[in-house]
Parts: sequence; C-alpha cells; structure tokens
Amino acid sequence: MNSTWIVGRLSPAATDKKLILACTLTLFLFIPGITAHAEEDGLSTETKACLKCHDKEGQEKTLENNEKLSLHVSTKAFMESMHKKTDCEDCHSGIDAKKHGKEKASIKSKREFTLGLKESCRDCHKKNFKTYEDGLHAALVKEGNDKAPLCSDCHNSHTLRSVKILEPIATTPCAKCHEDIFKAYSKDVHGLERVAKGKAAPICADCHKTHDIKAASFGDGVKDACLSCHKNADMEHKDWLPNAARHFEAISCPVCHAPTSQRRVNLRLYDGLAKRQLSEKTGVPQFEKRTGAADTNNAGLDERALWSLLKEFNQDSGGGNTLLRGRLEVRSGIEAHQISEKSKAIKDCKICHQKGAEPFQSVTLTIAGPDGMPLRHGVQKDVLNSLQSMESVRGFYAIGSTRIKLLDTVLVLVVLAGIGGPLAHMTIKWLFRKARQRREAEQFATIDRAGSPAPNAARHTGDDA
Amino acid sequence: MNKIYINPLPVRIWHWTNAAGFLLLIASGLQIRYLDLFQWVPFRTAVVAHNWIGFVLIGNFFVWLSFYLFSDKIKVYHPELNPMKYFQASFRQMRFYGYGVFKGDPNPHHASAYRKFNALQSMAYQIIMMLIVPLQFFTGVLLWDVARFSSMVEMFGGVRVVDTVHVVFFIFFTGFIFIHPYLASLSEKPWAHFKSMITGYEEVEDRRAHDASP
Repeated sequence: MNSTWIVGRLSPAATDKKLILACTLTLFLFIPGITAHAEEDGLSTETKACLKCHDKEGQEKTLENNEKLSLHVSTKAFMESMHKKTDCEDCHSGIDAKKHGKEKASIKSKREFTLGLKESCRDCHKKNFKTYEDGLHAALVKEGNDKAPLCSDCHNSHTLRSVKILEPIATTPCAKCHEDIFKAYSKDVHGLERVAKGKAAPICADCHKTHDIKAASFGDGVKDACLSCHKNADMEHKDWLPNAARHFEAISCPVCHAPTSQRRVNLRLYDGLAKRQLSEKTGVPQFEKRTGAADTNNAGLDERALWSLLKEFNQDSGGGNTLLRGRLEVRSGIEAHQISEKSKAIKDCKICHQKGAEPFQSVTLTIAGPDGMPLRHGVQKDVLNSLQSMESVRGFYAIGSTRIKLLDTVLVLVVLAGIGGPLAHMTIKWLFRKARQRREAEQFATIDRAGSPAPNAARHTGDDA
Repeated sequence: MNKIYINPLPVRIWHWTNAAGFLLLIASGLQIRYLDLFQWVPFRTAVVAHNWIGFVLIGNFFVWLSFYLFSDKIKVYHPELNPMKYFQASFRQMRFYGYGVFKGDPNPHHASAYRKFNALQSMAYQIIMMLIVPLQFFTGVLLWDVARFSSMVEMFGGVRVVDTVHVVFFIFFTGFIFIHPYLASLSEKPWAHFKSMITGYEEVEDRRAHDASP
C-alpha cells in the first residue's frame, strides 16, 4: 500500500527512473549473496560428484604392498585450499569416470601412486617444478631413492593453503623426514622466535629455499640466507672482529652461533678454473675409489695421500686447477640448528686460535656426489700443521691452530742461536783476553822503544751493527 | 780521536722507531702465534696492536726511504760493484769477526760519513731494507685483510703460503734482534755505536778524520 502511494505520487518519467534505480539497488543488494553462492558452487559437477563419495572420513584403499591409501578428501578443507578452483580431473587425469569405483584399480604402493601424479604438478607449476628438478630432492628421486620427497609429500594437494598463512611450525613438511633437525630447530632461537613472533623468524624454507634445495655444506647459499635477514651482520662483526670478511668466507655461521656444537674442518674439492665445487661424475665413482686406495687402513688421508689425490683429480681435468677450499663448520645438521641467542655466541678467539683447538681436531675431505649430496673421507688432523701439505691446503690457514710445526722448531733454533752465538763469541773473546793483553803490552813497549805508534795500534772500531 | 756526524737525525728517528716497533711486533707476533703457551694480552688486542704497529712501521720505512732517496747519504748503501774487491772485503770482515777480534786485530773497515757500513753490512742491509722488510710489510698487509686482497693472496699461492713467508721473516727478525746489538757492541768501546745512534756522532781515529768530510 505504501508503495502504491509512492508510485502514485510520481510522474511517469520519474517513475521509470526510480524503477531502474530500485532495480539496480536491489541487484547490488543481492550480488554478494549471488557471489557467495557461486563460490560454494565453484566446484564443477564432476568435482562435486567426486567429493560426494570421497568426503567420507576413514575411506581408504589397501594397496598391493598392503599400505593403506586414504581416499578421504574433505570438501571444507578443499574449498579453503589453493586448489579450490582446480578440478579433480586436472590432476587425476588417468581416471576413467565410467569404470572408476566399479572396477578395482591396481596400485602397487603409495610411492608409485604419488610418482604417477607428479607430472600433473608440472602442468601448472612449470617454474617451481623446474627449480625442484634442479635441486637435491629431485636428484635423489632420480637415483631411485624411494624416501626422497615428491611434490605431494610436502604439499598435500587437497588441503594446501597459501604460504602467506602462518601455519604451526610442527606442520612444516620438512619435519617428516628431517625429524631430529626439526626438533633442534624448534628449540633454537629461530624456532622459538617463529612460535612467538610468526613470520618475523625463519622456518626451514626461508633458509634452505623451497624447491631449489642444495646440500647446506656446499656453497654459500645458507650463509647468504643468514645475511639476507641479518643485514647489519657484516658491519657488526667488523666492529670487533679482525679480518671479519675472511672469517665470513671461511667459517659457517653456526660455528660461533651454535656454541655447544662440535666443529670440524671441511676441505672441499674445488675446481679453480670453473670456480665451483668439484662434483663426482655420474657413473664414475672416482672419489671413493681413490680415497679408499690412498687410505687402506682408514686412518684418514695423510699429507702425501692428499697431495696425490689432488694430482689425480687435476689429471682428470687435463691439468686443471683442482684445489681445496677449507671451511670451518659444525659436524652435523642437528648442530647447525642449535643457534643460540646473539649474546651467547662465541667471541673468544682462543676457541680457534691456539694449538690443539677443538675445531681442528676433525678434518674431512668433501666432494659433491652426482646427486649433490656430499661424499666425505677423513683426513688426518696433522695435515693442517705440516709443511708437506703447504701446496694441498694452501688456501686454508688459521693462526695458532694450524701453524706449521717445523717453523716452531726453526724459531726455537734461531732464538737459541741468537742467544748462544753472542754468548759463545763473548766466551771465546774472554778466553783470549790474556793474549790480547800481552799483544797490547808488546805494542806499547814497541811505542815506548820507537817513540812512535806501532802500525797495529789502531783498535778495532767501525760500525759492526 | 775525531768526531764525525755519521747518523743524521732522520736516520736516528727511523732507527729507534723501527727498533721499538720491531720489538713490539715480535712480542705481539709471538702472542698471536703461541696463545697456547702464554697470554700476556688477549688475542684480539695482540692482533689489533700488531696491525697498528705494522702500519706505523710501514710509514716509518718511507721516512727512511725518502731520506736516502733525497739526500746524498744514499752513498752508504751503494754496493761495491767489483766482485773481487767485494769478496776480499767480506772475507777480511768475516775473518775479523771470527778470529781477529779475539786476538785484538784492528777492524778492517774504517767508518766514515759516507762509508759507515762494512762489506758484510752493506750487502746485508741492502737485502734487508730493499727485499725482506718490504716483503714482510707486504705480506703483513695481505694478512691484515685477507678477503680484501684475496686475488693477490691467491696469486701468491694462498693464505697459507703468504702466512708462511711472513712467519719465516718473523723468525729472521727475531734472530736479528739478538745478533744486531751484539755486533754493535763489538767496537773498541762497547757503547760507542749505541751512543752514535743517539747523538749522531761517532769517535774515529784521527787518520780517518779526513774521510769524514764530504
């Protein structure tokens, strides 16, 4: 009635305009509702059909190896995931809708099932997939390592959410395989900060990258990651640490910042011409063969063995420039994740710069394996103090702890000679004192007799210094 | 006896600065290298002091070099170009130190303002001042900031090689510090050379006085 009254009071032209306005307003009022409805219904008919069966908890399939494969996909979780706009068939393209659920599909194992799905990730995530393929995880997969992670081992395709969302640290996929390291991380300064301050503190992927994973003991990737957050670290170290830049080059951050860790010297085989870490060639396992032959007792390579080994690697590259790049690092990945508060970091030079210092009691020789994982062989610690290994470890030196023993002996001999020489000379001079006195008396007598100075009267003078 | 002005003021300033500096460099060098044996000062203090003293002595070296390059006193470093004469003079000097000095023979070298070094000193100081000292300073600068000079360090064979050269010369100078004062005391009056390096003047026999005038 009220509306009739309103319409009746308006002119026909005005009525038309008002009607359009009213319709438009009505449309706007309904749009959010329409949009929400569209999101809910954003799933295709096929996907909805899939979820109709698969959104039932506890659904699973027994595989040929008796593993249980969960078939449950939560519609709610899927709708909140980054894949909500992706149809099931986009990834599960091999499913024949007519036969699916009616005929028993044969799947050997979870691994085989995941491997089969891997390629579908590439279709959309080309760039990340390429990066993954260049990384350590993919190399291990290629090697046939059935524990190396595939895409869906880290990213649950049905539930994965935006990386912008802060997830609890325990849900990080890395923890599944690197459990001990994750435990150490969760108790160290970064893990505690992550819980307390969220994304202000790093989690695994922030330092080790997400797809381009490399062995942490090679290159400077992890150190660069430290410096990408701790931007003033360079200047702060220069304030108190002599040769700070050299320390940055030759020492990994946890050596000082994980004060409870055990350390070692890592002599990394390096191609000086190509300027990169030397890698073992696929199918040609020279490193283990050569180190094994040079160190039959497994007591660690000595100076001569190390030198011969370098020579052999140089011959491989046609007289190349294989050298050793030494670095001080912690002995395990667990210790690398026991970073303490800044105030507890080692600042005492004595820890490294004296004979017998702990970090130099363990020495290892490393080459990158064909998969990018480090291959190691022990080296005798005395190599670092030997003149014979001057050529082999010419690029690694720590004052005090890796000093050449022979030079200590030379110093002692020189000091003894410096004290003993003059003392012996003085003693001989003292023993000859009577002969000199007699000669002097004779010369004076000659002067007295002749009344003129003798030719030898001049005493020894002049600069003798 | 006559007095000759044998050590000009810039030489005396350089000499005593150098002497004090080298003693401090040896002491701090020993501390840096042998922290496990003794601790006079903290390691870092020793390193920082070693660096600073090194730079002071590099500056001091250029005081010495400038003085000799821009004065006629450089003649004291002129080598004897006749090998036979040089060899004979060296042999006479060695025989004096090893034998004659015990018997009371006169020193075969007669000092003057322009010939203050005997044959052995002349050769030794040329090698020390023009080769060993610059090399020691050079390796010291490379070790002061290895990363900054990494390409040069690499060119010389790596940080271990550079450090070994530095330590070998350090050992040489440690020996020198013992021998040098002893040889300086082998004049007729044991303190004569020390005094002349303080006052500049040295007493010489009258018959040599004429050599003193330029």
